[in-house]
Amino acid sequence: MKRTLSILFTAAFLIGPGASQAAEEWGIDGEKKARFEAKVVDVLCELTGDCPADCGSGKRQLGLLKDDGTLILAVKNFDIFAGAADDLKGFCNKRIVADGLLINNPKMPLFALQYKKLAPDGKWSRANQFGKEWSKANGGKKAGQWFKNDPRIKKAIAEKGVFGIPGLKPKK
Amino acid sequence: MKKLLSALTVLAVAFFTVSGAHAAAAGKRVTVTGEIVDTWCYVTEIMYGLGTAHHQCAVWCAIGGIPVSVLGEDGNVYVVLKVEEDGTNVANPRIINIQTHKVTVDGDLYERDGVKYLIVTQVVDDKGIVNLTHEEYGIQPFGK
Ligand SMILES: [Cu+2]
Repeated sequence: MKRTLSILFTAAFLIGPGASQAAEEWGIDGEKKARFEAKVVDVLCELTGDCPADCGSGKRQLGLLKDDGTLILAVKNFDIFAGAADDLKGFCNKRIVADGLLINNPKMPLFALQYKKLAPDGKWSRANQFGKEWSKANGGKKAGQWFKNDPRIKKAIAEKGVFGIPGLKPKK
Repeated sequence: MKKLLSALTVLAVAFFTVSGAHAAAAGKRVTVTGEIVDTWCYVTEIMYGLGTAHHQCAVWCAIGGIPVSVLGEDGNVYVVLKVEEDGTNVANPRIINIQTHKVTVDGDLYERDGVKYLIVTQVVDDKGIVNLTHEEYGIQPFGK
């Protein structure tokens, strides 16, 4: 549990703006720092040929297609509890350099995007676009605790409770 | 004539080979029963990621845009890319609404580089949330 919290908080809060643009370890089983070039693709489009404009403009899960044909699903970004679609949507069908953690888990491989830049020599930026867009959409509120302040989440928890079952409440 | 036919054959073979290489392969029809889960928390095990104990966090992660999966009774993780007619799969309200539910779905399975991707064509059964884990695991990950 202690380890969990340190992973969550390190990612979201403790890394200052001076941190170098290189992947950092999060202490997850099977993780390995990885930096590679790949084309940003809409995964559903890549698999089935169902391809909306602009890779779905943030409404589709995006993947990284390497030159050898390997498709890597971008599951996570640098923001706490958030994915990478907002970080990658601006690079639809373009090549980027992705930097982050490849997690080799027997259940399935995962990739956490930490930094990205247009290949080969764009400007690095941290993969925290979800938080930036959340702030903008929520009156400039800081995104560090976005999950506590998000109106969609507040509504869902008010309706069904923390356990998802109306009327089932945590013991005091 | 013979020459023409053989030239056409070569062209046809070349055409179908090229188009075959680019066309997306068809999925495999499957029926999956299991629990809707957050892919990141469940797979990495950075916290206990199942049932009522993890429901709130699973909603956070789904609204945060992390892919949602069905953890099949067969133990496989099926990443959901589509539910019925809705082709969006980032913070999709339809999927968030059934987070942590035990469901049976029909769909098309695409396996690629170690990931099982599922296009759900129909949710055939929804038992709601039946995996009561909060007595043992409390509220993941912060206890509130
Ligand atoms: Cu979680």
